[in-house]
Amino acid sequence: MAEVVLRNVMKTYGTMRAVNDVSLTVQHGEFVALVGPSGCGKTTTLNLIAGLLPMSGGDIIIANRIVNDLDPKDRDIAMVFQNYALYPNKSVFKNLAFPLQMRKLPQSEIDRKVREAAKVLDITHLLDRKPRELSGGQQQRVALGRALVRDPAVFLMDEPLSNLDAKLRVQMRSEIKRFHQDLNATIIYVTHDQLEAVTMADKMAVMDGGILQQYDTPAKVFANPVNMFVASFIGSPAMSLVPLEMTSVDGAAALTSRAEGWTLPLSDFNARKVAKAASNKVVLGARHSTIRLHKTAVPGAVPAKVYTVEPTGDITFVQAFLAGAVVNISLPPSVEVAPDEQVWLDFDQDRIHLFDGETEIALQAD
Amino acid sequence: MTEEELDRPRSRKSIDGWRWGGRAFLALMLIYTALPMVWMLLTSIKSGFAAMQFPPQWWPDEPTLASYEKLLDPQNSVGQDFLRFFWNSLIVSVCTTVLAVLVAVPAAYAFSRFSFPGRRFLFFSVLLRNMFPAVIFLVPLFILMRMLGLVNTHGSLILTYLTFGLPLAIWLLKGFYDNIPIQLEQAARIDGATRFQAFLLIVTPLSVPGIIATAIYSFIGAWNEYIYAATFLTKNEQLTLPVGIQRFFSENTTDFPGLMAASFLMNVPVVVLFLVLQKYFVRALTEGAVKH
Repeated sequence: MAEVVLRNVMKTYGTMRAVNDVSLTVQHGEFVALVGPSGCGKTTTLNLIAGLLPMSGGDIIIANRIVNDLDPKDRDIAMVFQNYALYPNKSVFKNLAFPLQMRKLPQSEIDRKVREAAKVLDITHLLDRKPRELSGGQQQRVALGRALVRDPAVFLMDEPLSNLDAKLRVQMRSEIKRFHQDLNATIIYVTHDQLEAVTMADKMAVMDGGILQQYDTPAKVFANPVNMFVASFIGSPAMSLVPLEMTSVDGAAALTSRAEGWTLPLSDFNARKVAKAASNKVVLGARHSTIRLHKTAVPGAVPAKVYTVEPTGDITFVQAFLAGAVVNISLPPSVEVAPDEQVWLDFDQDRIHLFDGETEIALQAD
Repeated sequence: MTEEELDRPRSRKSIDGWRWGGRAFLALMLIYTALPMVWMLLTSIKSGFAAMQFPPQWWPDEPTLASYEKLLDPQNSVGQDFLRFFWNSLIVSVCTTVLAVLVAVPAAYAFSRFSFPGRRFLFFSVLLRNMFPAVIFLVPLFILMRMLGLVNTHGSLILTYLTFGLPLAIWLLKGFYDNIPIQLEQAARIDGATRFQAFLLIVTPLSVPGIIATAIYSFIGAWNEYIYAATFLTKNEQLTLPVGIQRFFSENTTDFPGLMAASFLMNVPVVVLFLVLQKYFVRALTEGAVKH
């Protein structure tokens, strides 16, 4: 059972905390994506798990062994790098054979395993070539092959698809997913592309500023982001965040934009949420599909002004200004709106998110 | 005829003008660099009398290899001296080269890969020696060598040449290591190699061109050096070729064909090295010019 546990893992460079107190558990056979913007500490975390960087604090446990002081070679891991890191002077065969040679396997065994891995990845016809004679997708496969040839406890992947062109990326995405299902492998996968994380991973660990923000299934992260960072980072187009103020209308809680002079009544459930806010500043979060657009004023809707209209065929995306923020809305293509048009928006109260304007944390009703 | 058509031949002519200008310049440079060599070769196969003739003989009337035979004949005293100088030069240059590579490879790798206190300072202080003309260090180094009891030994020259060669070797090699992606070593370490195995099995084969370039550089520097060799060595049997050739021929009447033949023979190892290894050398000097 190859379980990976990170316990209060720290990595500091001087006063800079690249990885700040990260704890998480990757179950055997799980595909976990570490996702976040560049510089969030996700690659550093991966390198710590691999043992390529010394930790500043905490414990890393792989398959029930504390590996803090073990060399990368003794951690029973394999890694796929962003630039593939194929040995340029070795043929594909020798690239795949290298990890086995290092483990002093007999030549016949090496031969068998390399051919087996090559067959799985459909690169048998490339075994005699040098890496520079391969296309990007083929290099990618060889890199995967070198990782799977020795059957490690954990696969680490550092943005393995980001050097591929868009079409190949989609194809390799499903191949890696397939690879995970077939091998029942434990995979920790670093990416800055939230779409890759959402589509491939069983669980995603969203990081920002060296801190693990949220660790859950993609569906739960999508449905219940714990703070404004996660809310805006996951999902495309991004969740719209509108800073508003708390007020009350006839004793019922509501949100208001003082500058634009309108109020938005809240449902009881949402009213219980905003009651938890530290100040009267509340941020309204809404995904494009939870906002309805009206061309005339209706009760409960708030006025906005259309900024851009982007038809994509199936869906038309509209950006509109609301209380100084830009709001993304999706419409069926049959609805026609023009830039600068005055429109009215109302929100699906069951699916909106409310955040504390001071702490940026999601507000929860008891 | 439109204006455009009138313009076109003129612009083509100007491009041709530049191209021919460039060719003429290259031809001039070729003459400038090759002519002395050609003259050296021609003189070396003349007789002593023909070499001094005026107007000069462009092509010798009676070409002869007598000078070469004399220099390469171990029975002859001239030949004995020449072959000994040649051997001395070879020892000094090869030792310098081997030591330079042995020290520069790990040093350059460390500068490229590890961060340690004083790394920047050390790296630039390596260059300090090269900021001054070599002659400035002649007297201090001589005193140092005398204190160490190394005067009149080849060791003094090897040590001195290392002070010239090492800094450049380290800089050249560091550039090479910088260009080898660190992920290759990381991959190797994950694949089961120790740090040292990763260096030995993955990085070193990739840095062979850099090592070769560095070696050529040190070798040529040591092979051609004159001033230190002339100062540190006084005993005839220890002289290296540059000093040896000079003393050797000014002691007798100047034997130009002999001098030219010796100079030519002295150039042979360098030229052969270059011809065999030039592709590595060029690659080393242009490495890092473009991002891969």
